[in-house]
Amino acid sequence: MEAAENKKNTLEVASLVERARSGDRVGFQELVSMFQEDIYRLAYYRTFSQMDAEDLTQEVFERAYRKISNLQDPQRFRAWLYSIAVNRCNDFLRKRKFLAMLKLRTAEEQDVRNTDVDTDNKFTAGIERKRFWKEVRTMLGRLSAMEREVFTLRFMDHRNISEIAAILDKKESTVKTHLYRALKKVRRHSEIFREYRESIS
Amino acid sequence: MKTDENGHLQDGQIICTVIDEGDLALHNRDHLLVCPLCKGKVEKFSAGLQAFGQKARQSVPPFSHPVKLPPGKQPAPVAHNAGWLPFFGAAAMAGMVVFFYFMGLTTKYPAKLATLPSQESLLEDESLMREISEMIEFPLPDNMYEITGDNGIGFEDDFLQFVVPDIEEDSQSELIIQGGVKRC
Repeated sequence: MEAAENKKNTLEVASLVERARSGDRVGFQELVSMFQEDIYRLAYYRTFSQMDAEDLTQEVFERAYRKISNLQDPQRFRAWLYSIAVNRCNDFLRKRKFLAMLKLRTAEEQDVRNTDVDTDNKFTAGIERKRFWKEVRTMLGRLSAMEREVFTLRFMDHRNISEIAAILDKKESTVKTHLYRALKKVRRHSEIFREYRESIS
Repeated sequence: MKTDENGHLQDGQIICTVIDEGDLALHNRDHLLVCPLCKGKVEKFSAGLQAFGQKARQSVPPFSHPVKLPPGKQPAPVAHNAGWLPFFGAAAMAGMVVFFYFMGLTTKYPAKLATLPSQESLLEDESLMREISEMIEFPLPDNMYEITGDNGIGFEDDFLQFVVPDIEEDSQSELIIQGGVKRC
């Protein structure tokens, strides 16, 4: 049932991509509506900043809009779009790291950009969310760049192994190897999986 | 990867199962079907990862700035007929062939392709030669030689001897012959 649903979704996306490739702006706008939240979440999982994630989402779709004629197979649109997003996020993080090294962005500015805008104004929920993301950053900080990427794509972006391989342009066996190493580290050290460790010990 | 002494799956095998159960050896897959302990471990770990993913999704701040496409620009349609490109490519190639052909001619036959500056220098040489020929044919009058002191053989001997005496008649020259040390 789920496979059939996925196939229908893929065909619908492919049809919209064909329209966008022939110059149909409305077709591309529909693709944006379908994928913008996924891409925003992808960007947030890597930057942990709402403002940066929104900026990156805009940039990703602008780039996709300019380059959609380069996409040979419309059925690969999702992997292609995610690939653009992952690369753009990595470029952004490299630049941010470089700026931080040069101390061109003040500490206050960094904190403001990293602070979530708590539109719900629920104090407890905000504290809980901050604590969760702090644990996530600690956990992901123990992984190598490739391990972090495959783990995030698999368990936070909910992509399967073949999709991850297409996004990162790697073999499936390579993706599985990195995922195995990531899970081994995560399971052993992370506070998030402490309950699991206690239950099996 | 081997199972433990009781035949249960080890930690690494649990992880492999979570990633892709199809990668597990056949006998381990069979064990998983019948062993509640191993099955429980796999399910607990998978559930933990799924819960983590759900929590991450719920903890992301709301997306408050929907994407706006650049105004007025349509996505560039796929170009199915790029006939002008081969034409310009062929023209560029032809231009390069002609260029290198003439470069080759310059190297092989430099005289035939004399440039304007070298032609000018030839003309200058020619006028100079003409001038010299005229001087030989029509030399300066004798009174001009008296003024310049040029009688064809240089200055008078007495004058030259005064300006630059011979080495034997020079007192300084004696010093040099004796070894160059002046005694006071």
